[in-house]
Amino acid sequence: MSTPLDRFTYDDETPRRFLAATLFWGVVGMVVGLLAALQLAHPWFNLGVEWLSFGRIRPVHTNAVIFAFAGNAFFTGCYYSIQRLLKARLFSDGLSAFHFWGWQAIIVGAAVTFPLGITQSREYAELEWPLDIAVAVVWVAFAVNVFGTIARRRERHIYVAIWFYIASIITVALLHIFNNLAVPAGLWRSYSIYAGVQDAFMQWWYGHNAVAFFLTTPFLGLMYYFLPKAAERPVFSYRLSILHFWTLVFIYIWAGPHHLHYTALPEWASTLGMLFSVMLWMPSWGGMINGLLTLRGAWHKVAQDPVLKFFVVAITFYGMSTFEGPLLSIKKVNALSHYTDWTIAHVHGGALGWVGFMTYGMAYWLMPRLFQTKVWSPRLVELHFWGGTIGILLYIVAIYAAGLTQGLMWLAVDAGGRLLYPDFVETVTRLAPMYWVRVVGGSLYVAGAIACLVNLVMTWRGRPASYEAPEHEAPPLAADYVDPPPPPSRLREQGAQVLGLAYSIEAFARASWHRRWERLPVTFTVMTTLAVVVASLLEIVPTFLVRTNVPTIASVKPYTPLELVGRSIYISEGCYTCHSQMVRPILAETLRYGEYSKAGEFIYDHPFQWGSRRIGPDLHRVGGKYPHLWHVEHMRDPQGFVQGSIMPSYAHMYEKSVDFSQAAADVRAMTTLGIDYADVPDPAEHARGQAGRIAAEIERQGGPGGLADKQIVALIAYLQRLGTDLKATTGTARPAATAQDGRAAGQAGGPAGAPVGAAEGGGR
Amino acid sequence: MITEDQAKEQAAQAGAGPAGAEPPLVSGHAYDGIQEYDNPLPGWWVWTFVVTIVFSALYLPYYHLGEGQLVADEYAQDLALHQELEAKRALESGEVSEQVLAALAADAGTVAKGAAMFQTNCALCHGAGGEGKIGPNLTDGFWIHGGTLLDIHRVIEKGVPEKGMVPWGPQLGAEAVKQLTAFVAGELMGKDRPGPLGPQGDPVGGAAAGVERAGQ
Repeated sequence: MSTPLDRFTYDDETPRRFLAATLFWGVVGMVVGLLAALQLAHPWFNLGVEWLSFGRIRPVHTNAVIFAFAGNAFFTGCYYSIQRLLKARLFSDGLSAFHFWGWQAIIVGAAVTFPLGITQSREYAELEWPLDIAVAVVWVAFAVNVFGTIARRRERHIYVAIWFYIASIITVALLHIFNNLAVPAGLWRSYSIYAGVQDAFMQWWYGHNAVAFFLTTPFLGLMYYFLPKAAERPVFSYRLSILHFWTLVFIYIWAGPHHLHYTALPEWASTLGMLFSVMLWMPSWGGMINGLLTLRGAWHKVAQDPVLKFFVVAITFYGMSTFEGPLLSIKKVNALSHYTDWTIAHVHGGALGWVGFMTYGMAYWLMPRLFQTKVWSPRLVELHFWGGTIGILLYIVAIYAAGLTQGLMWLAVDAGGRLLYPDFVETVTRLAPMYWVRVVGGSLYVAGAIACLVNLVMTWRGRPASYEAPEHEAPPLAADYVDPPPPPSRLREQGAQVLGLAYSIEAFARASWHRRWERLPVTFTVMTTLAVVVASLLEIVPTFLVRTNVPTIASVKPYTPLELVGRSIYISEGCYTCHSQMVRPILAETLRYGEYSKAGEFIYDHPFQWGSRRIGPDLHRVGGKYPHLWHVEHMRDPQGFVQGSIMPSYAHMYEKSVDFSQAAADVRAMTTLGIDYADVPDPAEHARGQAGRIAAEIERQGGPGGLADKQIVALIAYLQRLGTDLKATTGTARPAATAQDGRAAGQAGGPAGAPVGAAEGGGR
Repeated sequence: MITEDQAKEQAAQAGAGPAGAEPPLVSGHAYDGIQEYDNPLPGWWVWTFVVTIVFSALYLPYYHLGEGQLVADEYAQDLALHQELEAKRALESGEVSEQVLAALAADAGTVAKGAAMFQTNCALCHGAGGEGKIGPNLTDGFWIHGGTLLDIHRVIEKGVPEKGMVPWGPQLGAEAVKQLTAFVAGELMGKDRPGPLGPQGDPVGGAAAGVERAGQ
């Protein structure tokens, strides 16, 4: 067996670039987050600029920190570690460069399009279709690069870190593609092919598993490489790695519906989401145990090594978040927490603590190795660690308090069954002090991020004139490998009197079969894909096929062309970032908003706009609640209208004209999606007519004239339609625009909605 | 056929250091120097996992097929209780009359509550001092929809949607409407503040009468 040794070098230029991009985008994304935090503390920070209003900025923040910061961090660590774990250079220098520049270009595209109002308004999937296609292409390049490197490996078995990389790459591709299927209505606008309940289901299948397979499994993979390297200790338990990997991958994918408790989603799906979240607790903690117990015998190093300090805090926050996740997914807890800042605190514990601190620990470990010199300022690293840690604590403690406060205020009912805080704005102004504390905590964290970037730049400046590229050598993999025999059976050694079945169980538990999979990456990948796909289909298929999931409501009709245009403005402004459109079947909620929302009311909603956070009140029953004039005045100057409101002004909607030809494109897209608009031969004309009537009504009420072709009128048309079809009595095929107008002005939503609607078929 | 695995095992043994309380390493596992212990799964981890699985397997049929109360059913029950309570209240103290409203307008606490709500909800249209802006002046003696306390109460509660006046009853509740009426009667009526719109509607003696009554 004396084969000649292969000689090869590693590509460290690619991880170097990705590391710089990680830290740069981290600062950008977090500064934007800080701006958003300021806007919630005081609306002045919307600066009166439409491109910087909260609804447009929030997706910039979330996408930047998820896809730019965490994404680039994953690529950095993945590319650095797989070469060493597989003893092979990256598959293709060209693909590495394409991946790097392609991904950065997409980020720039996101940073430009979101402020311009180009968005799908589906959380963390806001990118419009041209950029979505770019993401898919670049992701495939990444996948080819990784699998190509695996194919050329000189290490027989693939290590647990790479299992997690494989699961992440495959699943993110599936999630991205199937969640973003949409019908374009122009270059920068598209409508999800799913509607209402099904769109919500798909979106949270995606949204939840983006957290799983973009923020959890990639970083577990990074942990399995960088933690034992930094601690110079063996991983605590190989068997735990196997079990927690497979259970995590299989169970995580089911849990999405816990984002939709008490909504119009069928209740069986909601229950599955809750139970799989509860079952997910231990598989998640498997990673924490393997992380923290790997440090056994190395705790004395933790006190000295800032890298390990970052890792320990990160893993602790991981453990906290993955305990809190199952807790929040319990329906009764969720009734209190949903739509409040509790969720925001939860994700920031995970994002700032787990993802952020894993990334920074990894960055400080990599800096001297990638730049082949000492880290510029160890003191600054130390400051970053403490500032960041205190920053996280200030942030989450304040926001937990804000979440609990608002949740309890919403639900508070006096002994006589009346809301204690009927004025929504009261539940907003109460949070302002906590929002300021968040600003302080966030600033500390951002300061740390900047310190890290400075350290990177200064360390880079101290690099040698040319990097050493040490040559490594290893034998190529022999073709004729035979697996070692399984370890001798302990049962047999002990001479136990047991059934044959017991021997089979023993053999299974000792996992030699898994060891075999580890040298067969194709088999491994297929099994991972199967785990994810089977689990997904078990939920998706019934959601789409079982008809009783969405009981039909005869009075629910498609939107008029003008309402479609208004809806696209609602989408474009990111209204969903602050307003839900989903009244839950909870008494305090129907007292506040009116009848709870039914699945059948959303069948024309491409995409759904249920939202996930109520920074402002729910809007599903806002239709007809106020006269047009109220909206006209309120949208222009929310603070003048509602003291203490933190809503940005939408003054630009009074200037900007509606492009009525858009109505035709929108109607065409809806027709493609199977909605019948045969009775509207000229959508643009129809829209113009309805807009004219609304504008006239506004003038009659004493409002300003000349609004007939302005965006505000289209938006009002949509808002006045919201949630009104449930009680509509018109039996016509489509509610005429006039009927809509009349209804809008005349109807006031009753506070204590009617009893459980006759149209509701129940969630069984 | 032993070279590859044996070589790794030897490397692993060499790196393991002195054997003592150290748990056994998995033989042949070394990736870029990273080794793995062959530690068993922690017992508490396994059992907690098993408990969550058993709980889920029992909960699903219990909740959906057995005793469990679905969200919609629970809501229907809460709603029925609430409506019962409302009906009882309507019988006991549902009265809204000139006398009741006048008594409220005389109560400083009630007027103060009404004042706060007026600033949040009404001032934009009617002006901070009730002098009128988009909506009519509330301090002069002219009333479009009638100037008795019951009239004012009705307009606040039901609104005049065709003229842009919001029906506040459904939003703020009956109590708030009474408090707002008390504020209008106790604080605004008869103050005669100059506003931009000029007099609208009919001169009503009831305005002054209201203040007088409130003043008692």
